[in-house]
Amino acid sequence: MTDSALVELKGVSKRFSTSHILPVDEETRKRHFFKKREVCAADDISFAIAPGEIFGLLGPNGAGKTTTVKMISGLVRPDTGEAFVKGMSVERKRRQILRHVGVVLEGTRTSLWPLTPFENLVYYGMLKDVRGPILKERAHDLLDFIGLQDKKNVQVRRLSRGQKQKLAICIALIADPHVLLLDEPTTGLDVQSSRAIKDKVMEMTREQGRGVLVTTHDMHVAQELCDRIAIINHGKLVACRRTESLLEYFSEQIFVFRLDKPVDTELFSAIPGIGKVEYEKTDEPSLLIQLAGESEELRSEALYKIVRIFEEQRCLLRSISQRKQNLESIFLRLTTDNTDIDMTEKGNTCLSSW
Amino acid sequence: MSFLLVMKAELVRSFIIMRRYWFRTLTGLVLGYGMLMVLVAGFIYSREGLEERVQQFDDPSAATNFILGFIVGMFAFGVVGMFTQGLQGMATTGVLEQLCMSPHGLAVNFMAQTVVSSVATILSSGIMVYAVTWSVGGMLHWDTIPVLILLTLTFFNLVGFGFMVGGLVLVFKQVGQVAILVRMGLFALAIFAKEELLANPWPFTFLLHILPITDATICIKYVLIKGQMRSVAVAGADPEMVFSSVFAHSSFYWLIGNCLFWTFVGLTIFRFMENHSRSKGTLGSY
Repeated sequence: MTDSALVELKGVSKRFSTSHILPVDEETRKRHFFKKREVCAADDISFAIAPGEIFGLLGPNGAGKTTTVKMISGLVRPDTGEAFVKGMSVERKRRQILRHVGVVLEGTRTSLWPLTPFENLVYYGMLKDVRGPILKERAHDLLDFIGLQDKKNVQVRRLSRGQKQKLAICIALIADPHVLLLDEPTTGLDVQSSRAIKDKVMEMTREQGRGVLVTTHDMHVAQELCDRIAIINHGKLVACRRTESLLEYFSEQIFVFRLDKPVDTELFSAIPGIGKVEYEKTDEPSLLIQLAGESEELRSEALYKIVRIFEEQRCLLRSISQRKQNLESIFLRLTTDNTDIDMTEKGNTCLSSW
Repeated sequence: MSFLLVMKAELVRSFIIMRRYWFRTLTGLVLGYGMLMVLVAGFIYSREGLEERVQQFDDPSAATNFILGFIVGMFAFGVVGMFTQGLQGMATTGVLEQLCMSPHGLAVNFMAQTVVSSVATILSSGIMVYAVTWSVGGMLHWDTIPVLILLTLTFFNLVGFGFMVGGLVLVFKQVGQVAILVRMGLFALAIFAKEELLANPWPFTFLLHILPITDATICIKYVLIKGQMRSVAVAGADPEMVFSSVFAHSSFYWLIGNCLFWTFVGLTIFRFMENHSRSKGTLGSY
């Protein structure tokens, strides 16, 4: 068990198998007598979440994100490996760990629509073993914190989708959990609601020291919110790094030079450590040069030589900028290419990087 | 303690909903009364001549027997339904997963929900039984202690059975559809259950005893309709009606045995199936 980790998954795997009698084949439309299907939802997944950290789990549909969340919350039992929350095994101390975990699952109603937000919080608080005056006080505080105090007496069915999502987060927080698991918290929300939820998640993580796991499809949410990001594909962790480090790692060292006149691209071919050289289709000449050098020294040398060529050609160098990768392109690369790079920080795990 | 806290939460929730949707609660009662009256009239007078149909009800005890059977059947239908359709509904909305994540556990949460909803059903059914019985000129012998004991045993009997079916529904969601037939069977059995049914060949009688509603209904009808009076043959004279407590009735012992059996079997199967559904990942699917 990693010291001080709030959540830890160690080599967790899960396969789901379904059996169907007389199913129709979706491609051939032929009926079979019996069909058994197996899906790998998690394959040897390991990572840890520290207090005050927002950990993002990204992956395409069916990659195994929700299964991972459910394994941490004890809703799904792993086939192999083990999940720990606050050092306790989820399988062996399930009842105890449920007091420390708040979960918002994607696409479910969670709240009871005939009740008001305040009544919902009191109801779920009791189910989570919170009692007495603390419960009501906490319910009011949470509604204040999330900005639903003015709606506390309105039936949930009359609330907007964003407000319902905020309430779901409050319900997850009613037992004051140390760990918060958010499965697609901003899906389907408008910009304002999404912003509000992101702000609140950041606030409660930084100020209250909770450990938060966020699964999302939204790369902007992940890039903005998460301290560390793991990318999961077909149940396997294909990357797990700090957000900046992930962006840096995939940054292709492409530099854009804005000039006053075009220069012959052949002039750069002799420079060692230079990759592709091409013009960008813009109104004024913009030369794109990719540095392929492995070492920093080689790249630096190449940049000096490029600038010297511009000088020799008497070009006016208007600006130099580095083209940054965004998380979306990295995500697409990792989930569509058959990348063989080991993108996890410690071999195949992501256990201790904070 | 844990159970009481969950029950308090359920009680508050049910009371709020009942109060908030008071019109629906009230119309439900009136509709129930109307439906029962129509059913009673249809059931009794379908066998009578046309001219008598417009007369007053001439067999109040048959009507009362039918009403009571109907209400007990509704109760059984509702309690078992909590574990089948109710469970499927919760899986659809995501509430089931929330309950699973409660530290009290799914079984305790379900038990509390069922107790609360059953109390509400018993109260509203009680009002309906009285209203309909009074309308047909019948009479109920309301002996509080035996009735409460019988209702409690019946409830646990049904809950045990419900837990068994509910456990299966957690893993095999299609069982919910089959369970409708089982619920309807229990409903019909409650309407027609009477002591004479137990005078059949032993395999059939044993099956009737094992089913969770037969002896419960016989006992409830024995107290409420017959007033715990049994006819005893007297030599050379008409049979005499004598008081014989329900606690001495053989069906009462079958009811206790059933209650223990179904509670044990139901809870064991439910816990096993809950763990199995976590392994199969079917808790939230529907």
